[in-house]
Amino acid sequence: MSKMRKGFLTALAITTLLMMSAAATFAQTTGSVTMNATVSNFVELTSGGAVTLTGNSGGSIITDGTANSPLAVVVNLGELGPSNTNSFVELSVPLRLRSNVAYQLNMVSSVAGAGATSFSLKDTDVGFGLTPAAARPANLAAGVDTNATPGDPTVGGSTDVNGRWVFAGANSTLGAYAVSGAVLSGPRINKTVAGNSATNLTVPAIFAIKPQFFDPAPAITITAQFTVVAL
Amino acid sequence: MPRPLKLLLLSILFVFTGVNCLAQSTTGTVSMSATVSKFVEINSGGSVTLTGNSGGGVTTDGVVNSPLAVSINLGELGPSNTNSFVSASVPLKLRSNAAYVLSMTATVTSSGTTASKIGAADVGFGLGTVSRTGVGVNAGSDTNATSGDPTLPANGSVNAGTGRYEFTAVRSNLSAFSSATTALSGPIIMNAVPRSNANGLTVPALFAVKPQFFENGTTTISVTFTVTAP
Repeated sequence: MSKMRKGFLTALAITTLLMMSAAATFAQTTGSVTMNATVSNFVELTSGGAVTLTGNSGGSIITDGTANSPLAVVVNLGELGPSNTNSFVELSVPLRLRSNVAYQLNMVSSVAGAGATSFSLKDTDVGFGLTPAAARPANLAAGVDTNATPGDPTVGGSTDVNGRWVFAGANSTLGAYAVSGAVLSGPRINKTVAGNSATNLTVPAIFAIKPQFFDPAPAITITAQFTVVAL
Repeated sequence: MPRPLKLLLLSILFVFTGVNCLAQSTTGTVSMSATVSKFVEINSGGSVTLTGNSGGGVTTDGVVNSPLAVSINLGELGPSNTNSFVSASVPLKLRSNAAYVLSMTATVTSSGTTASKIGAADVGFGLGTVSRTGVGVNAGSDTNATSGDPTLPANGSVNAGTGRYEFTAVRSNLSAFSSATTALSGPIIMNAVPRSNANGLTVPALFAVKPQFFENGTTTISVTFTVTAP
């Protein structure tokens, strides 16, 4: 009995020694670094460059667009009465969009100072449309953008039964944007490129007015505000 | 200021500047201003009609929607012309986006030297029926300051004392227009329609001379219409 007990104690002691030796051999040989990060939705709207004003009589560009700068264009469209014999007074404003997610570009607009009779210039007399390229360039993420406007407002259109000019199609005038509404939407714009990459989606926003026998009005103000949001 | 504090403040400034540079712009504005000025226009309303003439003719006719620059030879105005009147009807076309006033100035010069020469009072004048028709033309009531067709019996007669025919009604002859005088006025003519809309207000300007034993000679009658937006 005592021999068995002695043998058992001896074996236990050896096992303990081996385990302690092993523990001493592997101690402090691993480590870890844990990092947290976020990639937030990013959508951006800036100017796509200089605006183009045509068909004006006495108008001018007061504050031009500067590519990749905040969009804050100011333009004098000039005379909109019948003494302006041009077919349209047209303003093209390049918009520059970037995103890492699906986006939606909204617009809200207003017309003020034009008078209040039926012959006054209304928001429905200001044609509007976006003319994005048919396909995105290869340096952007693949995707199809959905244009909610009919495009160039000077295309199509006709006079109504009263002889007044009517722009063709739905969402073709500022009358459709008295409250904020979508004008363009699509999937992610940019590929995985650096933030200072110049790649972007440039879309011309076109405003057009047909000079007509509107009521005289010395100071008409037309404002369009664009906002891009992540979907 | 201690140097370490300066460096700290500078660093904070750089950090804030960097944050601003990288700020995400999601809105933008396009502000447009414009003007609609008052617009009034007079053009020819079309071809001139000359009647009762003897040896006369339309030298330069009116062309609709073109500047009014009509030239007419009224022909013989002496007693060898046996017609009751030599009459010329000149269509005028007016357009505006505001209330308008059409005024007229006339001069009559004759080579004669006596009281029997043709004078401004011998040239009858009036505006005919005003027409506001067609798409884009505003319905409105115009005020004709003349007495209408000068050949109407109510607008003239032979002076019982002198035997000379006289246009007697209000503004029924050119002597009433020796200086610019209103002939027609009214409210806005055109609705909000493009200038390419060819419609407008039309009114004939009627001139008439009664052939009489006027002193022989040549006569030039010049009339200028002007439309304004008061």
